[in-house]
Amino acid sequence: MISQLTKTEREIALLLTILLAISGSILGLMGRGDLLGYHGALLAIAGYALTFVLIKDHFDPEPGPKRIEKYYDDPIKVGIVLAIFWVVIGTFVGDWVAWLLVFPDATFDAGWASFGRLRPVHTSGVIFGFGGNALIATSFHVVQRTTRARLADRVSPWVVIVGFNLFCLMAASGYLMGITASKEYAEPEWYADIFLTIIWVVYFVLYMRTLARREEPHIYVANWYFLAFIIVVAILHILNNLAVPVSFGHAKSYSLFSGVQDAMLQWWYGHNAVAFFLTAGFLGMLYYYLPKRAGRPIFSYRLSIISFWGIVFLYMWAGSHHLHYTALPHWVQTLGMTFSIMLLVPSWASAGNALMTLNGAWGKVRDDATLRFMMVAAVFYGLSTFEGSFMAIRPVNSLSHYTDWTVGHVHAGALGWVAMITFGAIYTLTPWLWNKERMYSNKLIEVHFWLALIGTMIYVFAMWNSGIIQGLMWRAYNENGTLAYSFIESVAAMKPYYVARAIGGFLFFLGAVVCAYNVWKTIQLPAVAAKNPDKPPLPARGSPTALSAAE
Amino acid sequence: MTFDHQTLAAIAKSYGLIYMMIVFVGSVIYACWPSNQSKFDRAAKSILREDDE
Amino acid sequence: MLKNHAKLERTAIGFAFAIMLVASIGGFIEIAPLFTISETVEDAPDMRVYTPLELAGRNIYVREGCYACHSQMVRTLQDEVERYGHYSLAVESKYDHPMLWGSKRTGPDLARLGDKYSDEWHVAHLLNPRAVSPQSVMPAYRWLLRNELKANDMPLHLRAMRKVGVPYTDAMIANATADTYGQANPDSGAADGFFERYGFDSNSRYFDGDKRKVTEMDALVAYLQILGELTDAADQTAGAANLENDAEGATQ
Ligand code: HEC
Ligand code: HEM
Repeated sequence: MISQLTKTEREIALLLTILLAISGSILGLMGRGDLLGYHGALLAIAGYALTFVLIKDHFDPEPGPKRIEKYYDDPIKVGIVLAIFWVVIGTFVGDWVAWLLVFPDATFDAGWASFGRLRPVHTSGVIFGFGGNALIATSFHVVQRTTRARLADRVSPWVVIVGFNLFCLMAASGYLMGITASKEYAEPEWYADIFLTIIWVVYFVLYMRTLARREEPHIYVANWYFLAFIIVVAILHILNNLAVPVSFGHAKSYSLFSGVQDAMLQWWYGHNAVAFFLTAGFLGMLYYYLPKRAGRPIFSYRLSIISFWGIVFLYMWAGSHHLHYTALPHWVQTLGMTFSIMLLVPSWASAGNALMTLNGAWGKVRDDATLRFMMVAAVFYGLSTFEGSFMAIRPVNSLSHYTDWTVGHVHAGALGWVAMITFGAIYTLTPWLWNKERMYSNKLIEVHFWLALIGTMIYVFAMWNSGIIQGLMWRAYNENGTLAYSFIESVAAMKPYYVARAIGGFLFFLGAVVCAYNVWKTIQLPAVAAKNPDKPPLPARGSPTALSAAE
Repeated sequence: MTFDHQTLAAIAKSYGLIYMMIVFVGSVIYACWPSNQSKFDRAAKSILREDDE
Repeated sequence: MLKNHAKLERTAIGFAFAIMLVASIGGFIEIAPLFTISETVEDAPDMRVYTPLELAGRNIYVREGCYACHSQMVRTLQDEVERYGHYSLAVESKYDHPMLWGSKRTGPDLARLGDKYSDEWHVAHLLNPRAVSPQSVMPAYRWLLRNELKANDMPLHLRAMRKVGVPYTDAMIANATADTYGQANPDSGAADGFFERYGFDSNSRYFDGDKRKVTEMDALVAYLQILGELTDAADQTAGAANLENDAEGATQ
């Protein structure tokens, strides 16, 4: 991969890795009496290792002038492989956590193996490790193809991929050691947050510079979603993580806000992380790979624009539905509820748009498991947004909140929507990236599809049942007007559902392993010859071909 | 400049609504404007051209 | 208007800006009033701050992820008030950086746990929840009793808390380490003046029952025992009268 970099680019990269090694060492020294020291060491080791590789291959031949005629896909390949790595790890830990609720003593008497520390490893692993890498990789792919321009440079994509994964590693290893800020989906501590902010700015600048080089006058709508994902996540991340560290030698920090403000900010972040990370970004994926795979343009481009602004706008108001009947002022709760219900409109517009695109290609959906992944994703997107709007209604929320129903809802979205659309995109993209005719085995895609679908169904139904039973038991009264059940009775009643969930989760995890195997075998297939070797895929910059070809 | 809670809440409830209407109407007009139609059609089809992969 | 739009989406920068604007106005309008909320939050002049030992215990609660299974927020619903006690007031988490309201009740709410059980009960429960409550799915936390509490940097912790707005005095910060050990080891005399600093109804005893050392168990139990006890504000607002009407529908 280094052979794809020019001399100057190698030197810039070298400078950056040395900088990483030095800052890691400094952090490690400052935090040597604290857990912080380990993360300093982690960054330092990564920095030295990368520096070593860069120096070792420094005198490899440089790429020829042809390089600017091709899209720059190396970082995308790495991103896809990493996404698959994280989905295997993340769902494995998820299933482990699920079994811990069945066998609570399976912790080896070790802190790192207890429920409270493993759970964030699962959530961060799947959301950031799997989802994040998949989003970064596909956004690099989509932005190049839809603008017909190469990534603006060849160092910053690596900064984004490597930096982001170092962040994920710090997050996951930190929870195991007991480093956490306790804010849901924003658990990493202050230094990791600062690190991610830098990475994210590089990502944003790279994306903007690539858009600025585009040969197409109009920016294809998928990029809108990716851009909204990048920008809003930055705003959310910075505001929600404002904190004062105990010292520069301590991993621990204290959140700048307290009580109600902190809760509001946390759920404003939490819900919009769902909106812009788990929804907007993946809609970007959907708007490119689904039409591509189906071979049909998106059903209504207009509708995709209207729903875009609807989503960007409405989501920001909805966060307070996580805090119904709490100490949050009443009007904020009502506002959150109202906007959550309105959100159904752009959400269903998007889901409907995706399904209507397939209308007329149902034969393909039947035969092609990859396309079926994407169709099912659109269906689950529609279902979970409907459910979300329903759960945001205060009386419904009074029943669902704090119960497994929320968990069921989250996983209808996370497994059914986020993971399925990503698997669809991965199966579409992998043969293109590695220049293969097709995936190694279509059968295995089919197997994966059914494992994922059945696993999701078992999971979601188990959690709906347990959640509703739990909620009803908590509020049930007997004839003499006292509460009918003690809390522990409701815990005991969950047992069969926890077992079912853990089994469903295992099926889903197996599917992810099948996917990893299939991709690995695909990479090893012989490459196909380029269809048209004389014609460079990229128009020369500023040439009119792109425009005229568009007619 | 300091605002008290009442004022901020009132602004949120009134101008917030107007702002929402403007964004909504604006994006619908943009999406439905006749002369944008051909551009959108072309964009929707542009990704299907062969040489992308 | 149309022309601007066309231009807007032609210039990627303008477009990025529009996203930022549209998205942040929503957040701003909803969030801004909350930063003036202190004007509307109940008053609690008697509210005391966490002692260093309790703060250390709270940090252990965070570290172990107890919040993943336990909420600390009793909602204004009839059944919750009957099960857990008075609904939570905003002022009660005034010094909670970060708040630990939680979002999932795999275990019961803990907002009003203080003084509900004895110290011995908590220690036994944390060592093996199933010894106390056979059907529990809570993990055992035996290492808490093995690990000695690290408290030499407590002054830095209190100082950071003061920076974010918690009124720790200079004396509290200066004595933070001694107070930590002294509160869990009352016979040592380490915490001279502890009660003057933190109030005479704060607790000082051998929380984990082990007189030889101050462990993480001491800190965590000290924290659990003051949950909901930092202020009397809740006792002063009428309980059931304030419950919302929706709550009626919640009863079956
Ligand atoms: C896997 C989820 C889980 C985790 C993590 C967890 N608990 Fe629990 N907890 C429970 C369940 C279930 C119960 C109810 C059964 C029982 O009493 O053990 C419970 C009960 C309790 C009770 C008794 C509450 C009452 O009013 O009866 C306390 C106190 C408690 N937990 C404290 C903690 C602390 C402190 C931690 C972190 C060190 C923690 N829990 C972590 C699930 C959990
Ligand atoms: C219209 C869109 C949506 C709305 C209005 C909505 C609403 C809600 C509501 C009301 C809750 C329960 C809060 C509680 O009581 O604790 C919730 C939780 C959650 N939802 Fe959604 N949802 C939507 C879409 C999605 C999607 C598509 C995903 C995933 C891809 C998702 C992921 C989550 C997560 C992670 C939580 C967990 C919060 C927690 O930990 O308690 N949501 N959502």
